[in-house]
Amino acid sequence: MTDRRRIFLLLAPALLILGGLFLGGLGLTVLRSLRYMPALGLTVPDLSAYRAVFASPGFLASLTLSLWIATASTLIAASLALGAALLLRQSFPGRSVISFLVQLNLTVPHIVGAIGILYLFSQSGAFARLAHAAGLIAAPGEFPALTHDSFAIGIILLYVWKELPFITLVLLANLQGIGEDYESVARSLGATRWQSFRHVLLPLLAPGLIAASALVFAFAFGAYEVPLVLGASSPKALPVLAWQAYTDTDLSTRPKAMAMAVVIAGIGLGLLLLGFRTLRRGGPNAR
Amino acid sequence: MTTLSLSGLRKSFPGAATPALQDLALSVESGALTALLGPSGCGKTTTMKLVAGLIQPDAGDIRLDGQSILSLPPERRDVAMVFQNPLLFPHLTVAGNIGFGLRMRGIAPRKIAEEVEEILVRVRLQGLGDRFPTALSGGQQQRAALARALILRPKVLLLDEPLSNLDAGLRDEMRSLIRKLQRETGITTLVVTHDQAEAVAIADQIALILEGRVAQHGPPQDFYQRPVSLAVARFFGGVNFLPGKVAGSAFQSALGALPLPFDRADGPGILTIRPEALRLGPGPAAMMAKVVDSSFLGTQSRVGVTIAGIRLEALVAPETARALTPGTSIGVTLPPDALWVLPPDALWVLPPDQAGVSPDISTA
Repeated sequence: MTDRRRIFLLLAPALLILGGLFLGGLGLTVLRSLRYMPALGLTVPDLSAYRAVFASPGFLASLTLSLWIATASTLIAASLALGAALLLRQSFPGRSVISFLVQLNLTVPHIVGAIGILYLFSQSGAFARLAHAAGLIAAPGEFPALTHDSFAIGIILLYVWKELPFITLVLLANLQGIGEDYESVARSLGATRWQSFRHVLLPLLAPGLIAASALVFAFAFGAYEVPLVLGASSPKALPVLAWQAYTDTDLSTRPKAMAMAVVIAGIGLGLLLLGFRTLRRGGPNAR
Repeated sequence: MTTLSLSGLRKSFPGAATPALQDLALSVESGALTALLGPSGCGKTTTMKLVAGLIQPDAGDIRLDGQSILSLPPERRDVAMVFQNPLLFPHLTVAGNIGFGLRMRGIAPRKIAEEVEEILVRVRLQGLGDRFPTALSGGQQQRAALARALILRPKVLLLDEPLSNLDAGLRDEMRSLIRKLQRETGITTLVVTHDQAEAVAIADQIALILEGRVAQHGPPQDFYQRPVSLAVARFFGGVNFLPGKVAGSAFQSALGALPLPFDRADGPGILTIRPEALRLGPGPAAMMAKVVDSSFLGTQSRVGVTIAGIRLEALVAPETARALTPGTSIGVTLPPDALWVLPPDALWVLPPDQAGVSPDISTA
């Protein structure tokens, strides 16, 4: 068997799943968003669903909210992860315990985490009751709105909690590959501790940081279950809006749902491509 | 011209059985190229990192022009280090790498560009400034790393095994380049190496480090002609060692009394002579010996002979060695001016074929 055929055969299962299920599903979604549904007699594709989506009053607010959630969660999680990774790189007593705790919540499903946030931070949650019991607030309802609030604080809190370990793990793996020699060189060439971080370590870490952040952004932008549990009733995050349009008893809203799904996927994919393009340029992997 | 002096340096690493450095003292000649020579694990690189400020000693002091630099962070020591691997920053071009130190000092970009251009020529990398490090060969990367340190005109330049990752041909080229640039700039330079031939070829001064201490420090020829101990002589390829004692101006041993050309207090010692100084063939002072073995080494041959049960080795021209088959009798001359006496050594162990010959040093 030639090498090329073997490689093809080995890749076939992955390609089948990727091509058949993912691209097929995406293709069908795109077709339906273009109102191409021969079973219903719609055989001429058009953009009316997209026009309806962009014209609907809530769309812009939902898009803004989703972008806000994704941007804020990604930035906060990435900065905290950078600090955590730099800290965990050093050896100190209890490092392995902290390392384990940091990785632990990777295994907790998002929806479970969301319900946890609800129990802890909602106005009838544990912290509200604690604050009330301690006499800090007159009634649990006076507790600041951290869930179902218009700034999506609960949602961002959950995403930061959930995605921080993921970015930290990626960065720790990168740090291990980079080693400490580059920083030693920089220091001996007259760079201060900060300069060697800013001009050597950070550029070397950037590809991994950007790639991991792009994945987190795409997820936070496109996932619907967390905003469904923790989000305000208006405006709704874009994925929630799409899900509701899809499950609506009125079948005519389906193309609109599909159009929104395509917009979400498009923005997510675009960001991922941008992230991976940065990854290919330079960095320790290009050595 | 900068004097660098190390005194009483100690350094242990957690988990290591023996300390990397124990009481290392060294005064480096200013403006010269000094080789820190020693077997791997002897503490050479540790010494460099201590001078660069990348690690801190457990005890001792490092002074630059009389001032202790121990409390200074690496970036304020004015000491630049070139590592064993080039370690060029992969996200910067060659010019970006070489100009890095100047940029960190806040020098104007135009001035940096000028200096980088100038040094690129000196390390023969002209025209390659815009490339990324991955597009350079190993030798070019090493030269860029050297330029990156030299451009800062540091008080002390530290080179850690700068030749070890290069092929034989490139190694000679890099060695002459280092030598040339060091002479031109007069920067006090320390080169770490484990290769004694390399140290001899490149350095004005050699500091041989054995077991975390400076065993001998001086010009290269001293290590051949006047080693201070058995360990130093062995490290520099010494093979002929003869136990005995100094009495008057002669050395008493199994070979009788050999006159010494230098004064030495009476007492036990080990006589040594370089294998290349032994003369085979007839002569007025020749002793009769028997050839034991002979091996061809390329430009020379190594001939083993025994006299009175003592094994000696000589390096001779291959054509001389051809006639010397094992069992042949031949005259051996030990020229008096090539003799040297080492102090008695507690670690003195006789080669197996000489066991039974009493090394009269038990009184040491």
